[in-house]
Amino acid sequence: MHRAAYLAFDRFPSAKGSAVHIRHMAAELFDRYGGGLLCVLGGGELPAYQREGGVEIVRFTDVVPNLLDRAEAFSRWAADRLAPHRDTLEICHVRDPWGALPALSTGARLVYEANGLPSIELPYAWPLAAPSTLAKIREREERCLQEADAVVVPSRVIVKAVTGRGAAPDRVHLVPNGADPVPADVPRPPTAPDRYVIYVGALQPWQGVDVLLRAFARLADRTDLTLVVCSSVSPARARPLRRLGERLGVRIQWEHQIPHADVAAWLAHADLSVAPLTAGPRNLDQGCSPIKVWESMAAGTAVVASDLPVIREVLGDHGRLVPPDRPAELARAIRVLLEYPDACRELGERARRHVEAGFTWKHARARLADVYDRVEAH
Amino acid sequence: MTPCAVTTGFFTLGKCGQMAVAGCPACGRAVCADHLADGGMCPECAAARRQFGHPAAAAAARRRAYRHRQAQYYGDAGYYSGFDDYDRAAFEPGAAAHQDYLDDGDDALVDS
Repeated sequence: MHRAAYLAFDRFPSAKGSAVHIRHMAAELFDRYGGGLLCVLGGGELPAYQREGGVEIVRFTDVVPNLLDRAEAFSRWAADRLAPHRDTLEICHVRDPWGALPALSTGARLVYEANGLPSIELPYAWPLAAPSTLAKIREREERCLQEADAVVVPSRVIVKAVTGRGAAPDRVHLVPNGADPVPADVPRPPTAPDRYVIYVGALQPWQGVDVLLRAFARLADRTDLTLVVCSSVSPARARPLRRLGERLGVRIQWEHQIPHADVAAWLAHADLSVAPLTAGPRNLDQGCSPIKVWESMAAGTAVVASDLPVIREVLGDHGRLVPPDRPAELARAIRVLLEYPDACRELGERARRHVEAGFTWKHARARLADVYDRVEAH
Repeated sequence: MTPCAVTTGFFTLGKCGQMAVAGCPACGRAVCADHLADGGMCPECAAARRQFGHPAAAAAARRRAYRHRQAQYYGDAGYYSGFDDYDRAAFEPGAAAHQDYLDDGDDALVDS
């Protein structure tokens, strides 16, 4: 019988930043409650059931082609998994309405971690979703956020989004993402080019990788420079961007789904790291706390990123900000920083010190522990 | 020595690798003493056995029971059948923005 449960409609573990986030947040929860139940998505080689000490990991493996049906089926499945623990569950930590609804029915305290809002993000991948459908999804978000004992958000921009959906402001807590420090002597990846600019992450339209490719096309005279894209998705998913890169004649080295432990070495040996997020509703209205930026800073690599409120929160003065969606401006910023390697190194060092001083995962976990303290005290 | 073939780990997964003492009668994989579950099975098969008899019947019962519970909770009998065919159509596999994207089973609702 468990006292704590963590539910996420997300595959875990995976190469995505969300999995890194789940890893640390769930670890804090389970350390505190002497284990618990982790309900996540399975698939691939992942086992449907695991027991790791006091932690029981159950994975939803049903094949349901329709995403909405799949989310609903996950919700029902999760309700079933939680049912045997109803009498002992003290706290449920969730990431989305489909995890929150079954958790609410247990009567346990609810911590809703709002890293993103499906009513804002889903239309990017599912453009045929009608406004009336998104309104229904928003209604569920509102119900869950209003009922939650605490709402954890990684960025101030998301604070606005969740309070706009009815979350009580005194129950909303800021827990920025973080990154673990990278050792100075981390070995260079064997296939790394001599000089490279790096992009790490997924390839959804809001990431602005197309803007980066167009910017890189303007750096064609820098024949010593390669763009390394460490994509968290498969080559098939990267196909449209690979085609764009070929059409633009950009020198790109694609690295797909490399283990998270290896990403730090790629970041640490890069000349620059780029986070070219676009100025769309996902980044402006919803908000995020990009792990790629945190990890680049922790690796001591200078970051060039879009000038958006969510990036300013993370990067502050410890990186170079450029207007979003402007390939020419991005190319200019990259060129200038590469011309001044000492300034570039100094920027990276400052960023590393900033992360070490207050934004490692250890710090994030301590902030989350404070939230649990408050929830328990109520 | 036959190594235990049960998957272990929280974030970084691997095979257990300890010396196996039995084979799971359901799936045949080698299991060490630490991972031997009820009935001499591997943990995954033991967990599956604790679940339901007929999957379709169980799914229907689960759905009914769950909707019933939730509807009571919210005092709204229709709440849990809120999504209709029109809503669902936009989330069929063929309706995604990038057809190429469908092959790696990326399920997440949000990215962060």
